[in-house]
Order: sequence, then C-alpha cells, then structure tokens
Amino acid sequence: MAQPAPVSTVPPRPPRVRRMLVLQYLLVIGLIAITIIAWFSMDLPTFQRVVRGFQTSLMRVINGLLNPDWEILPLAWRSMLETLFMAILGTFLGAVLAFPLSFFGARNLLGSNAASLPGKTVLVGIRTFPEILLALIFVAAAGPGPTAGIMAMGIHSIGFLGKVFADVIEGIDPGPSEAIRASGGNQVQVFLFAVVPQVIPEVMSLVLYRFEINLRNAAVLGMVGAGGIGLPLIQRIQYRLWDEVATLLFMMVAFVIVVDAISSFLRRRLV
Amino acid sequence: MGLPKAPVLKAVQSWATVAVVLALLWVSAVQTDFNFEALTTGTADFFRFFTRLAPDWRALPEQWQPLIETISIAWLGTVFGSILAFPLIFLASFNTTFNTPVLWVTRSLLTLLRSIPDLLFAAILAPVLVIGPLPGVAALTLFTLAIIAKFGSETVEAIDPGPLEALRAAGATRTQVIVYAVIPQVAATMTSYVLYVFEINVRSSTVLGLVGGGGIGMLLNTYLAFFDYGAIGVLIIVTFAVVILIDQVSNFVRTRLL
Amino acid sequence: MIKFQDVEVTYKTGLKALKGVSLEIPRGQFVVIVGLSGAGKSTLIRTVNNLVPPSAGEVIVGDRSVTRARAAELRRIRSDIGMIFQTFNLVKRSTVLRNVLAGRLSDANPLASLAGVFSRSDIALAHDCLARVGIPEKAYVRADALSGGQQQRVGIARALAQRPEVMLADEPVASLDPPTSHSVMQDLKRVSREDGITTLVNLHFIDMAREYADRIVGMRDGLIVFDGTPEEASDEAFENIYGRSIDIEKDLRGAA
Repeated sequence: MAQPAPVSTVPPRPPRVRRMLVLQYLLVIGLIAITIIAWFSMDLPTFQRVVRGFQTSLMRVINGLLNPDWEILPLAWRSMLETLFMAILGTFLGAVLAFPLSFFGARNLLGSNAASLPGKTVLVGIRTFPEILLALIFVAAAGPGPTAGIMAMGIHSIGFLGKVFADVIEGIDPGPSEAIRASGGNQVQVFLFAVVPQVIPEVMSLVLYRFEINLRNAAVLGMVGAGGIGLPLIQRIQYRLWDEVATLLFMMVAFVIVVDAISSFLRRRLV
Repeated sequence: MGLPKAPVLKAVQSWATVAVVLALLWVSAVQTDFNFEALTTGTADFFRFFTRLAPDWRALPEQWQPLIETISIAWLGTVFGSILAFPLIFLASFNTTFNTPVLWVTRSLLTLLRSIPDLLFAAILAPVLVIGPLPGVAALTLFTLAIIAKFGSETVEAIDPGPLEALRAAGATRTQVIVYAVIPQVAATMTSYVLYVFEINVRSSTVLGLVGGGGIGMLLNTYLAFFDYGAIGVLIIVTFAVVILIDQVSNFVRTRLL
Repeated sequence: MIKFQDVEVTYKTGLKALKGVSLEIPRGQFVVIVGLSGAGKSTLIRTVNNLVPPSAGEVIVGDRSVTRARAAELRRIRSDIGMIFQTFNLVKRSTVLRNVLAGRLSDANPLASLAGVFSRSDIALAHDCLARVGIPEKAYVRADALSGGQQQRVGIARALAQRPEVMLADEPVASLDPPTSHSVMQDLKRVSREDGITTLVNLHFIDMAREYADRIVGMRDGLIVFDGTPEEASDEAFENIYGRSIDIEKDLRGAA
C-alpha cells in the first residue's frame, strides 16, 4: 500500500439520494409483503396432506419418468407429428388472417393514433381470450380432433401476430412511401411497393417465432380433445402411467428442440 | 451491350422457399384431415356457441376467491421463478460463468425446461403435489425460471465487457464483478421483462385449474361438468377484466422504468 | 519495482505480440510507452496484472511474481495495481461514487460488499480520491452524465481508491480532445508523484510523451527499440520507433 491519505469525514448524502434510497427499501419491503399475502390468500392444502401425497407419488413418478416405455414410441411419433402439422396449419392460418388485421392496428397506415385504437383493441381482445378455452369451444362446435386445435391456434395467434405485425408496420421507414406517392402512385401501389417489401423479412421471422410457441401450445390443446399428443399425454397422466408419460414427453421435447433450432437458424438468416 | 441479368440464385431461393412452405401446408392438411368444410361450419357453430355463453351473473360471487388465488398463483410463480433463475442466468452466460462444462450443462437444462409448456408442468405436477394452487405455482415457477434464465443470459452476454475487465483488474472476485459491473447494466431490462412474464403468467394461471392447478380454472371444470355455460360466460368476462387490468398496471410500471 | 523477464506473448491466433521483452522499472518512476498500434504496448501493460498471461517469461511486481500467482494471490496483487482505460470502463448506470468504491472491492468485507455496504473509511477514501482529481461534487451523479475528461478522472479516482503501488494507463487520453488530454495527464502525473506510484502509460503522442515522462520506452513489432530519457528521445529516435517519418504526427498531435 502507498502511504495512507488523510481520511476526511464522509459528506452527508444529498436529500435526493436519501429519498431514492428510502423508496428502494419501501419497494423491496412492499414486494415481500405482497408475496406473503399472496401465499396465504391461496386455498392451500395442509402440510401433512402435501407430504403424504409427495411420499406416495414422488418415487413412483421419478421412477416412471426415468424409465421410459419405449414400446409406445410409434404412438408418440405419430401423435407428435400430428401436433407438428396442427401447429403448422394453425400458425399459417393465424398469419394469413392477422396480416390484413394488422393494418387496422398500424398508426402510420391509418393516419392517427386514435384511428388505430379500435384495431388494436380487437387484437388485444383476441389475445386475451385463453387459447385452451377457444379449443374447448371448437371441440364442442366442430368435434374433437386436430381441426379444432388448428382453429383455436389460428384465431389465438391472430392476437399476437396482429399486434407484432402492426408494430413492424409502424416501424418502417416512411421514405419509400413518400417517394412513391411523390411520383404519383396510389395507396395500393404505396402499399405493395413500399410497405410490403420492408415488412416481409421481419414478418416471416415473427411467424417462425410464433410457430415455436404454437408447437408447445398444440401439445397442450390436445388435452381437451383438440388433437395431437395432448390427449395421449393427459390420459396416461390420469392413469399414472409415468413410464409412458416419459416417452411422450421425450418425443415432445425432441421435436421442440429440433424445431427451435431450425427456426432460430432461419430467423438469423432472415433479419 | 444488353441489360444485366437478374440474379438467378435469389429467384430460385425464393421460389424454393414458397414451394417448401406450400408442400408443408399440403402435407399438414392431409395428415390432420383438415377440411375447409369444418372451417366454415365450425365457425358458424362457434358463433352460435357464443350466444350460449350469455353471462349468468349469479355465478360472480363464487368466483372472487378463485380469482384472487389465480393472481396469487401468477405472482408467486413469477417471484419464485425469477429468484431461482437469478444464479442460473450467470451460469448460462459465457462472460460470467465458471467454465465451459458448467455453461453447457446449465444451458441444456434450461433448454429442456423451456420446451415444456406451463400447462403440461401443471398437469404432471397435479398428481404429485395435491391438486390445487401448489402445482400451479410450481408449474409457473419452472416456466418462469426457464424463460427468464434464457432472456437473462442473452442480455448479460450482450453487455459492455469494459467495466468487467476494469473490476477484474482491480482484484474483485467473480461475484463482486457480477454485482458491480453486470447487474447495473441489465437491471432495468430484466425488471421490465419480469413484469412482462408476470402478464403472461396471469393469462396462464386463469386456465391452469383445468388440469388441477388451482385458481379460477378449477371452477371451469365444474361448470363444464354441469354444462353451466352462463357461469362460463361470467368467468370469461371476469378473466378478461383481470388480465387487461394487470396488463395496464404492468405496462405503466414498465414504461416508467425504462 | 516492476521486472519484465524475457516476456513473450503469443495469442491463440498465432500472433506474436511480445517477442521477448526485458525491462526493469524502479519504484515511483513515470514511464511512457510509445509505438504504433500493434507494436505490443497494450499487451505489455496487461502482463503486469496478468489480464494477458505471458506465454513465456515472467513479470514480477515488487517481490511477487504476477505470472505465477494463482487466483486468490492474483487478486491480492491486482488490488495493489490500479488501471485506467482508453474507454474509461465505468459502469455507466451507476453513480460516480459507486464506481470509485468499486476500487475498494478487493479489500472490502465480501458479504457486505455484495449488499452494497462499505465501511465509513472506504466511503471517506472514495470522496477523498474524487476531491484529489478535482470532481468532489460529482459523487452522486450517474457516470454517463459526465464529460469524457470527467469520466477518465473518475477512472483515476477508482484506481486511486485501491491505494495502489503501481498504476497502469492504457491510452488514457486517446478518446479526449487535446486540452482535456493534457489536464488529465497532469492530474495523473501529480497523483503519481504525490503517492510515489510506479506508473506505466501507453501514449501515441510524441510531445505528450516528452512532456510528462521520466523515461520513454519505444516498442516496435513486439520488441523494445528505445529506452531512455525524454531528452534522448530525438525526432530521429521516434522515427526509428515508428519506422517512418514523423512530421505528420508532429503537426496534428501534441498541441496543448
């Protein structure tokens, strides 16, 4: 160490800094308080019940999950394949329907913030409606099977895709549109030659991203009868056939990981 | 001297992509027996169904407690998941982890967790933990952990390495470097993301009860069993209200933060 | 004080940054290292605190071998070596005071430091260091709200907070305009003299090297090609270091 410098007293903290510090402490305490309140607001089972349930099932579950029953691999493959196709169609449907809807949510195409509000509200409304409820309704209306799932995913995806498409459209460079208008082009031409080309790469990337999510969701929608691997999964869970659950899970995870990898690769090449 | 030829490779690539996409769609449609008839008649039935969902407001009082429980499940799942994700973020980032094996093990574990949707976690955990809010909280915890760790590590890997070098040069330990150089750079973004995840979790928690995860979804099962569509109508409206409310609050905080 | 013994550095790409450098720097000397980009100046400076480990040879600071030190020992050695950077390397979103306190981390209580708590003496020292570089009033300002010169001063204050025996400065003024560069160099020279800190500075500018150095070391292609006082550093000597005519350099640089 070099020779010690003279140690002066610590100057007092300015009031603004003191206020920030107090606010931070209050915030942390508040968050902890909310967490505790949330915990006790729930209808929790008694500790003994949980422990008993744990003791009886845990070992069985872990054993089953670690020893997959490979005999049902063909079934797993087929159902997961169906799930994949469901996701493909559902995403495509959603994208196709969302694209036109997104224009109604784009500020710069409609002229003002207020004009885009109804469109945006509709999209939020669609997105808020739980996908699985949608699937239930479609199963009741159109019968069980992948079609119900595709419809549910398609409509639900409109909510997400419509919003992010609108964001992309709002983010484009106004230059090309101006240029085409200046040279006498009409609204349609502006749209086709200025808006669409700029938007396509990001749109495709977002569709791929949604596809990754939809593949996961498709696996779940089957639980209410909408096709795919969800039905076999929930049946085996209900009958506690954990070794078969493991096989189905394995297939699902494998598909998801591969699809994610391909999708990431394509999305990097796009944007 | 003629006009330059249009690039052939690009055109071929575009057409090939279109062809592949169309082929995928065709195969998918065939394999799932997707028929457009079902699309049109299904849509008609769909709208007809909606009329049956006319709300029967008598069901409202019994939905309050489950609603609070739903929000609590989402909150707890987000909080626990974020706390557990915290150390994993740094283990999964190449600029803060210990060594390559740790990095790969963490990343693989997170990839595995991320491939399983939260409803599935809830369905599997429901028989293990008692049916009710516990599997719901656990499922959302795992889901939150996975996506926050992923997003967190992406954020951490993108930070300015300069301050880290400076603190290492001053003799700081790995954890000190994380606290003083990494966290200040990512704190705002991560907090905003956690709020965003909370929004997602609120949406999920409304239906976790369908598979035994507690909250308002449990009532849904009952209503379905008794064909009480009026009650379902109320449930949907109430769900909407809650989700939109949380969204607004969350957005407000997020914009004030960044 | 600092001994380089046949230090060689070969990067993973195969680039030989240092090809056998031996040098002895006595305590308290203010040494300026000059040379073209890629001559090995940054690499040489970073072998002193082992940010770049030598592929061969050894660096000894005081009576401790930096090159051979293991993790905990290395951290202790590093805590006595302060470093300032061309890009300042401050934590932009943290306050100035926090940035300076980061210099005390190696000596602070490990658990307390993780919670952001420092001892009163550490905090007092941090304020002192800020006063010594002339910006005591900026303690609670966010680091990125400061000008370039002020940010570098915070960097110096952070290094000073370590109470170092050695100071390393890697192109400390390359990002600053000429008047600010000179005032920062003056501050650096002054605190170095006041505390008797052995200082190694990388500089591009010839006139600045001549003005502030006790001793000038010229490097080219990973080797030392000049070692002498500023008086001995004639224009010819610099042409040898740079391997080309320096008239252009003199026109643009060094103007105070």
